[in-house]
Amino acid sequence: MPASPLVVPDDSQPVKTRFGTFAGRARDIVTLAEGLPGFESCRRFFLLTSPTLHPLTCLQGLDEAGPAFLAIDPRLVDARYRCRLDDLQLRRLGASTDTTLLWLAIVRVTESDGSTVNLRAPLVIDPDRMRGMQLLAGHDEYDTNCRLD
Amino acid sequence: MLVVTRKKGESIVVGDGIEIHVISVGRHGARIGVTAPREVTVHRREVYDMVVAANRSAASSDALAVSALASVLRHRAGAAARRSHEVDDAPCQLA
Repeated sequence: MPASPLVVPDDSQPVKTRFGTFAGRARDIVTLAEGLPGFESCRRFFLLTSPTLHPLTCLQGLDEAGPAFLAIDPRLVDARYRCRLDDLQLRRLGASTDTTLLWLAIVRVTESDGSTVNLRAPLVIDPDRMRGMQLLAGHDEYDTNCRLD
Repeated sequence: MLVVTRKKGESIVVGDGIEIHVISVGRHGARIGVTAPREVTVHRREVYDMVVAANRSAASSDALAVSALASVLRHRAGAAARRSHEVDDAPCQLA
């Protein structure tokens, strides 16, 4: 990975996003090695939480263009949502089998026609190594735009 | 674009470790098998395009509507927690 000009100290620093400014630490940075489809040039994202955002999480890109997303634990949207990786996916992520993985579904917020959540292609993150990926065909029975509100 | 004619059982090798096999060819389409290293992801084009569209759309979320949505979600989670609490605490009903 090329060296980044952006220096992030280990202690918390304010991170500006389109959704507000939140405290971020170096250990809150997740690397999506394959990138997010549509935003392949950005591989590193701050995972930011705050009392005003809760239960939403903000993903703020650190690399060029720095896209920002909101996401939510898919089980908060649908309690029956299953969050499991098969062996091949687990190997691709590089996570050990006993790690509790973090799951996030990307949310699209609009005031005009309601907010939606992409339960079809969730993000899965290994919190130990802060490595993650988006499962493009994670759950065929869900849509990319399930109603949220 | 490289265009080649392949028959059933033949394949194409791409770079190091990627092979595209023609499994069968029928009237309704060709069945293709792909072997690739695990770090290489393989998807149907339309699946990839659908996620691109969803991600691009989500990246332009309306910032002004976010705190209201978060508040609705917190309220809903709180209501669900209260409901499950009530069920747990419900006294046994005698017939």
